[in-house]
Amino acid sequence: MKKTILLVEDDELDIISVERSLKKIGVDYELITAYNGIEALDKLRGSQKHAQMQPLPDIILLDINMPKMNGLQFLSVIREDPALKHLKVIIMTTSGEEHDRSATERLGISGYLIKPLNFNNNSRKPDSMEGFVQFHLRHILGNLD
Amino acid sequence: MKLATQISLGFFIAISIDLVDSYVNYSLTQKVNTNTDFLTNSEVVIRTSSNLNRDLVDMQNALRGYLLSGDRRFLIRYDSGLSTIPELIKQERLLIEPSSLQISRLDSISMIHNIWLGYANQIIDAKSKAIADPALNWRYEKLFKSQFTLNAGKNYNERIAAIFRSFDQHEYDNRQKRRAALAASIKATDRFSLFFSLLLVIVGSALAFYLVRKIARRIDSMVKLAEKISTGDFATVNDDQTDELTSLSHSLNLMSQKLSWNIDELEKRNDELNQFAYVVSHDLKAPIRGISNVVQWIKEDIQDEISPAMEKYLDIIPERLKRMADLINGLLDYARIGRSKFPKEEVDVSVLVKELADVIVPKEYYFTIGDLPVLFTEKILLEQVFSNLLSNAVKYTSTDDGHIRVSCTEQAGVYEFEVSDNGIGIEEQYHGKIFEMFQTLREKHDEESTGIGLAIVKKIIDENGGTIRVLSSLDKGAKFLFTWPKNET
Repeated sequence: MKKTILLVEDDELDIISVERSLKKIGVDYELITAYNGIEALDKLRGSQKHAQMQPLPDIILLDINMPKMNGLQFLSVIREDPALKHLKVIIMTTSGEEHDRSATERLGISGYLIKPLNFNNNSRKPDSMEGFVQFHLRHILGNLD
Repeated sequence: MKLATQISLGFFIAISIDLVDSYVNYSLTQKVNTNTDFLTNSEVVIRTSSNLNRDLVDMQNALRGYLLSGDRRFLIRYDSGLSTIPELIKQERLLIEPSSLQISRLDSISMIHNIWLGYANQIIDAKSKAIADPALNWRYEKLFKSQFTLNAGKNYNERIAAIFRSFDQHEYDNRQKRRAALAASIKATDRFSLFFSLLLVIVGSALAFYLVRKIARRIDSMVKLAEKISTGDFATVNDDQTDELTSLSHSLNLMSQKLSWNIDELEKRNDELNQFAYVVSHDLKAPIRGISNVVQWIKEDIQDEISPAMEKYLDIIPERLKRMADLINGLLDYARIGRSKFPKEEVDVSVLVKELADVIVPKEYYFTIGDLPVLFTEKILLEQVFSNLLSNAVKYTSTDDGHIRVSCTEQAGVYEFEVSDNGIGIEEQYHGKIFEMFQTLREKHDEESTGIGLAIVKKIIDENGGTIRVLSSLDKGAKFLFTWPKNET
């Protein structure tokens, strides 16, 4: 069965980055996106706007800093919901703050990835987000198989 | 109480003690003078009394002589006594104290003498009449044998003599008493004088000690406060006195408080600014990354369809973005200095410099190092300083016979490191400016320099309590010398 990924991310560029990376890796995963925690919950539970995801995603890639409902709030909601609490969640954030990491770890996560912001001083080219995403997606999806 | 008042009061007390002493001495002198006067007077009294006594005896003898011989020449002394004795009594009366025992004695002498004189005149008269007319001798004989002999003669002498004895005795006793009193007075004065002199010394010294100590202590407390302020400890002194120094201590306290407040305020502002710079630089990086990603995607997606010119343009974007990112990283680094605490560790400076040079200094340069120490310090900061200075040296030195050298000299409490090159150098007029932010001496579009490196270096060294200076002139290379605290392991 075709596996699905739910990407909860408010940054358009990061979404594109993940989409392109999936294409480059050449795996056939279905990518569902949500721009914030509320939309993601709607998609997981089904609402007037969105039909419920069928089946539930194999993995959720979750940003932390988002409008309306942030990653941390979303995570605590699904961990309270018996139907959703088993879902695998990997945090992908630019936040290196220790309290974000420890708070999400307490709620149960499968990984915590800090998106690169620094540029490699020795090359002209900024570190590519895409390379980062590819590397980790390959790893994550490999573990799913 | 004001210090001037206290000092004046001290002087007043000392002078008062001295005045009392002088007064005691003065009154002693008065007493001595009075006593001398008294003695002189007493001498005259005794002399007058003995003259009186003598004249009285002379008169008696004269009378006796005349009565025995009938020679009138004997009466010369008697006659002179008639005039001298009242005169002497009058003198004596003036010399002795009125209404005293001596006056009554003198009165008794005078009275007894007058009684005697009465008889004497009678008998002289009888005698002279008897000489002129022997028929009248019986009257004289009768007079002579009866009253005079019995009463006037012996009785008179004894009584007068007794009175004179007690008169003189009284005078001598008086003198004795006076002398004793004077001696006691001199002794007392000596004691008083000694006491007051000692008192003056003690009170004077105590007052001087008290005042000097008080002033010294207060000035000392203020000097200490000023020293504390100069080391950045904005304490205040607790001054409960009210005198001329109070306004000074008050001003010092006020200054300390204001300085403390201002520095707190300054630190707060600085913290805000650092926080602001950090947040801004951090948030500026996200869009750059985004743009960079999009350009990357465009290139990937249409690589085969674009012209070489377009490809070149597309390459320029990440280059400029890299420069912008460098600038932001520089700002981040600059903001982070003093904001973050870095761990101290053992740093072998020669290893550190060699590792940095491997990355920063291209192989074409002649790179040498001198003897470099091992320190216990914040490695990240020292690394940043060397990295910036080495990058600078490379940037402004041509590869053609370029020399770069790092060396170190030991000084009191610090090491002075030197990073020198034989590059284009810096004109002296710019030596102060190069450590300011965004000052580069090349054109603005020089992609290599962000103008923040030396500002970071200077900030790190300032935070570390060191100094940095540059020795250079145009085309003569540059020497950057900076000091670093000597926290050896």
